[in-house]
Amino acid sequence: MDAIENLIPEDSGSAPALEPIAMVALDAGRMLMEAGASANSIDEIVAKFARGLGADRVDLRIGYASLAITIGIGNNGITRMREVGHLGVNQRLDQELWHLAKRVSRKELSTEQTRAELTRLATKTQRHSAWVMAVAVGLACAAFGRLLKVDWLGTGPVFLAATIGQFVRRELLTRHVNVFICATLVSFLSSLLGGLGARWAGSETITTAMIASILLLVPGVPSVNALNDILEGHPTLGSARAVTVAVILIFVAAGLWFGQVLLAHLH
Amino acid sequence: MNLDLPFLLHQTVCGAIAAAGFGVLFNIGFRSLPWCAASGALALAVRTYCLTGLGWNLEAASFAAALTVGAAVQVLRARTDISQNALDVVGCIPMVPGSFAAKAILAMFALTSTSTVDASETLITAVQFALRVTFTIGAIGTGLAIPTLLLRVRVTR
Repeated sequence: MDAIENLIPEDSGSAPALEPIAMVALDAGRMLMEAGASANSIDEIVAKFARGLGADRVDLRIGYASLAITIGIGNNGITRMREVGHLGVNQRLDQELWHLAKRVSRKELSTEQTRAELTRLATKTQRHSAWVMAVAVGLACAAFGRLLKVDWLGTGPVFLAATIGQFVRRELLTRHVNVFICATLVSFLSSLLGGLGARWAGSETITTAMIASILLLVPGVPSVNALNDILEGHPTLGSARAVTVAVILIFVAAGLWFGQVLLAHLH
Repeated sequence: MNLDLPFLLHQTVCGAIAAAGFGVLFNIGFRSLPWCAASGALALAVRTYCLTGLGWNLEAASFAAALTVGAAVQVLRARTDISQNALDVVGCIPMVPGSFAAKAILAMFALTSTSTVDASETLITAVQFALRVTFTIGAIGTGLAIPTLLLRVRVTR
């Protein structure tokens, strides 16, 4: 750890040189966090970017909705903060960021080139098409259903309900609908479709089929990240993630409850 | 030991499909999906073996499965072009007890209803499910973290 006198910045007019490095490193960290990384990974990548671009010292504070960095070169230092957006999961972007970090840490890129690469990654990183994603999620939920002992007659409806649910979820999120409201709406729709389909098909596991149809909404990555962050020394971020997971689950259960009530009335 | 091989195979295949499906949702490239499927298959195979073959409870079996997946991913990380965090988390996604979480919250909703028939039984059900969710997620997270914390090699990624 650096002595405190080395961390006190001097007003020597060199802030413009530090500013782009801090902001590029923060942007890399923000993008990785929004792609679903744990706190340790964010810490590691920000340090790689900042040091690769010339910083001698890097200190990062990771919050749920913001990142703050202090970097120093020689006797000069600055502190900057950056807002973090919605935390999703995007592994291709994660992977591309690590490849870029490797190049930056080998000092192959200048600050401006790194900024341009980050912009390119943010706009050009490929995503699977909406239909591919929906079908894959449908298959995953059908497999989940089998793991939860849904009978074969109920498995097809689970597949269809989850496929439609994922498609609707993506449409709602692209329209910037609040994630919690989106969770309730999709949970209601998928559970109702799964339940109706399972009943129509003659399944004897209708309730389990309804639950399997909404498992696409269970925030698995944030819940595992929450515990990882706490175990790795970031209890504040881990707790914030855990609270968010709990609230999402309540909204998901509310949608399921509405679905069950409506299905009972239709019966 | 009471291991049913067709059941083990069924669970393994379902784990692989679920992990690969969620791999697509997490935007993992098609070339890396077989690794996700293998990770999910390994997790479910170990968990099912521990549950049915060794008679362990769900939490202990989930811990053993997550520990195995975490260790396997650490060993294989150099061979795969996919982040370690993604591979082990995707593998353990099929073990996240989402249905228990939903049942726990539904039981709590039922508890607040004015027409609750057997409140104490509903309360016990809600608490049991909630505890199982907490302990199972704790077991998965801890199982994944231990190999990372013990075997982490600070290689340039």
